[in-house]
Amino acid sequence: MIVLLADTGGAAINWHTVMFYVVALAACGFAAMVAVSSNIVRMAFALIVCLSAVSGLLFLAGAHFVAAMQLMVYVGGTVVLLVFGVMLTAQKAFVSMKTTAGDWILGLVVGGTLLAILGQLIFAVPEWRHSDYQARAEAELAAYEEQLKSHIASGQDVTEAQRRRLADLITLARQGHPEETAQIGLALVGVRADRPSPEVAGYSGYLLPFEIVSVHLLVVLVGAAYLARAKRRRKPLLSSGVSTP
Amino acid sequence: MAEYFAAWFPAGWEFLGYTLAALLQAILLVHVIALGAFVFIWAERKVSGRIQDRLGPTRTGGAFGWLQSLADGIKLLSKEDLMPKDADPLLFRLAPYVAFAAGFAAFMALPFASGWVALHLNVGLFFLIAVLGLEVFGVILAGYSSGSKWALFGAMRQAAQVVSYEVPLGICVVIPLMICGTMDLVAIGDQQRGLFTNWLIFHDPFIFLVFWVYFTCAVASVNRAPFDLAEAESELVAGFLTEYSGIRWSLFFMAEYGSMILVSALAAILFFGGWNGPLPIFSALMDNFSYLAECWWFSTLANLLGVVNLLLKASIGVIAMMWVRWTFPRLRVDQVITMCLKYCVPIAAVCFLGVMVWTALGVPFMNDLLPSQNRALVREGWVHESDQRAVEFLQRLERNSDQGGVE
Amino acid sequence: MSGSPDSEIIELDVRTDEMLVNMGPQHPSTHGVLRLVLRTDGEVVSEAVPHIGYLHRCAEKIGENLTPRQFVPYTDRMDYLAGMNMNLGWSLAVEKLLTYDLPDKVRHTRVIIAELNRIASHLVGMGTYGLDLGTFSPFLYAFREREKILDLLEACCGARLTYSYITPGGVTADLPPGWVEQCSAFLDQFEPQIPDYHALLTTNAIFIKRTAGIGIMAPEMAIAYGCSGPVLRGSGVDYDLRRNGHPRYTSLYDGYTFEVIVQRDGSYPKDQVYPAVPTEAVLGDCWHRFYVRMLEVVQAIKLIRQGLAFYQQATGDWGTPIKLNTKLPKGEAYLETECPRGQMGFYVVSDGNTPIPRRVRARSSCFCNLSVVEELCRGCLIADIPAIVGSLDIVMGEIDR
Repeated sequence: MIVLLADTGGAAINWHTVMFYVVALAACGFAAMVAVSSNIVRMAFALIVCLSAVSGLLFLAGAHFVAAMQLMVYVGGTVVLLVFGVMLTAQKAFVSMKTTAGDWILGLVVGGTLLAILGQLIFAVPEWRHSDYQARAEAELAAYEEQLKSHIASGQDVTEAQRRRLADLITLARQGHPEETAQIGLALVGVRADRPSPEVAGYSGYLLPFEIVSVHLLVVLVGAAYLARAKRRRKPLLSSGVSTP
Repeated sequence: MAEYFAAWFPAGWEFLGYTLAALLQAILLVHVIALGAFVFIWAERKVSGRIQDRLGPTRTGGAFGWLQSLADGIKLLSKEDLMPKDADPLLFRLAPYVAFAAGFAAFMALPFASGWVALHLNVGLFFLIAVLGLEVFGVILAGYSSGSKWALFGAMRQAAQVVSYEVPLGICVVIPLMICGTMDLVAIGDQQRGLFTNWLIFHDPFIFLVFWVYFTCAVASVNRAPFDLAEAESELVAGFLTEYSGIRWSLFFMAEYGSMILVSALAAILFFGGWNGPLPIFSALMDNFSYLAECWWFSTLANLLGVVNLLLKASIGVIAMMWVRWTFPRLRVDQVITMCLKYCVPIAAVCFLGVMVWTALGVPFMNDLLPSQNRALVREGWVHESDQRAVEFLQRLERNSDQGGVE
Repeated sequence: MSGSPDSEIIELDVRTDEMLVNMGPQHPSTHGVLRLVLRTDGEVVSEAVPHIGYLHRCAEKIGENLTPRQFVPYTDRMDYLAGMNMNLGWSLAVEKLLTYDLPDKVRHTRVIIAELNRIASHLVGMGTYGLDLGTFSPFLYAFREREKILDLLEACCGARLTYSYITPGGVTADLPPGWVEQCSAFLDQFEPQIPDYHALLTTNAIFIKRTAGIGIMAPEMAIAYGCSGPVLRGSGVDYDLRRNGHPRYTSLYDGYTFEVIVQRDGSYPKDQVYPAVPTEAVLGDCWHRFYVRMLEVVQAIKLIRQGLAFYQQATGDWGTPIKLNTKLPKGEAYLETECPRGQMGFYVVSDGNTPIPRRVRARSSCFCNLSVVEELCRGCLIADIPAIVGSLDIVMGEIDR
């Protein structure tokens, strides 16, 4: 589908751009709905659509792994747990949230700070690149094939390294970019494939943050389970005339 | 396919071709689910009938009652669409579509034959598992918005069950991934070419065991008996479906059958060679007759038969699920979770380590025992194939340059 | 969850809000119109209170306005799954009041019919228990055989559910010609089917997981609540009215040999090969109650075989049903019989010189069996409720009357 929506040059409609606007609008609109809605489950639903739309944006940007991760962790995991928690703890069927003035101020401060940081980040990126891996990989392969053709035509022999590089390019062109995913995995266990010298401090991968986050999660889980445990005296027996709602 | 259609249109209008291709793919996928549900609901009636010493439908549509699903559909369409007073109207209406859309989205990344996939992702397997877990959200919404306590119970059970079973399911699919070295489902399928001994299920004893764990988890994650806690009719009336009727109810059913087909097809790709038949007839022909290898209709025919192969294997999985459903009693909710945490997760984890050790030690695989098989193709997989293609390309170049020299 | 030493304090792994849930009267697994009010905490039921009376039809009051023979069809509708046994209980009670003696042939006919109906009733109990646990197929296997029994009973009296066949003074008609052969052919065909039921349910791993160790009822508790029938014997109490009852009832079974299915000294009767008791099962749990019913089916087959042999040699006629307006002597009579679900008692009081009794009362076995639900279901999971209620095998028609 990425191929399908690729930049079609001077076409009357650029599907990639159209899809980007549609998905981005959906993300923003449902994000606003999360803030506006007072029904907590509708809020969760809007959050789901918003996060799925963000995942869609990532797909459009060609970051398939991150997009799928977004779906799995945020949409599939976190929000489901959120709704689950709401269902387990809700006093009655539909909970409405009432926002006080203090909540508004707090929310605005936190949200504003986040927005400022994000805005700063956007303008800090030196260059926004097109990320159509498939087209790029194919172009690269074609270019290299041409190069090899002329290389052979000039009567030179093909070296093992060149053959290897051709095979690699074929792999990339046929498969997209599996390396991108592999690099993320390697970085998480401490090997930064995108950095030339792993010895340099600060470029040693994400093993430590990864471990800290894991231990932190474990501590949170244990603490939550401990807090949720409670002893309680049995309520008086139901009288036979109890009418149930 | 998109490029093929794009070529029909003049320059600047290729987007119409892309649109056409997208629509065509979407229609095809919807029909996989719709027709799949149509066929399998009928099959479910027949299978359950035979298991229970009855005939099942015999009259609708002539022989075998093959139009029974259509009759069911018409009945459901014409049923009154009820909504309880206490329901949340918006979410109650949306929930079936959420469930169905999630099931449908997963099909986008499912290859039906080598290269025949709507959305060719290098993380196809991961995407599929992620989207498969989204269907539960429709169920939770349905249960919560129904305004009924039974529906709420069903939704709670479903949420707990799916979140738990994602863990062993994830471990199970990681094992074929580890052997193949890629998350690309097309690559995983293509690596199992050749004799049926190339199928990953025969790779080593651990993965054979893992398949059963996968199947158990798959049955649990698509909410089928004996794990159908969310709609346990003897406990929760109908669980999250209690307040649904008519077309909305049938959408949930389509989603359920869609997921059944999906997990079975995934099992076929991960463990049973995907679209490759047990005997490599087409690839043998293509290898030996270069004319056939070049010929577009021959490769299309091979792919079409591959689709048939995959759907057949998936059907076997679905039928096995039906067989299980009509044979066993339902597990209790704590037993379902125990099954997941105490059996499925440890077994899958041990098998994961086992496959790792087996591969690291270089213990011969079943394929290595058969000399005629190009085992390296499977082990090195995609990269090896790229090598071959690179070599072929270079040979072709050299031949060309030689001929050029003679002329 | 129920293992806490002080039953007043419940400790919860994760606290959730209590919910009051109405299970029934329209619920797939409450066997008719039972209503259970559950206080649930997540999946755990902290309290289950049965509410009855949705099928009350004033049967006892009607009995005080009709003659005993006119009342027979009303007894059919009490335990509608074992109408013949209800007829038998009522007939014996009235005969006791009238001090009426019966020819031998009637005796054997009644035994055959009552035991045949016991099999049919236990088959329904077994099939619906499968439904309660979420498996559909055993239900249809059970009903396939039950249909054949209903065919046999239909041949006797023309009805398939509400028979009114056994009546004070005898039965309404002799067994039709060829019936004995049909019946023994059915038994020969039916007996080899029983291992199928054991394979589908009794020895199925999931079935054992769902029922073994669930709803354990100690013998003392069963006696204290007045439980009877398979529910009592499932708890290991060796009591069967066919052996321990009033002589007027036990004399029906004179000359018959059968085992009372109950666990004595840690083992069940070994007159035939029965599936082994799983190690997880505890005496008095749902599994044992189910097992007792399954084994009683085998005993009933044995009894019918003997009955058919006795019937063919029996002398006398098929009895003379009492006249509709037979005057009842002054006095009272109470008699209990062993119905498929337990001991069913009928009580008749007459002022004398009138064909209409002064008082009619029925003692329902299911009523007592149901009363344990509150105690058995405390602290169980929601999924155990159908398992426990189903193992008690209640019929609301008998409870509400």
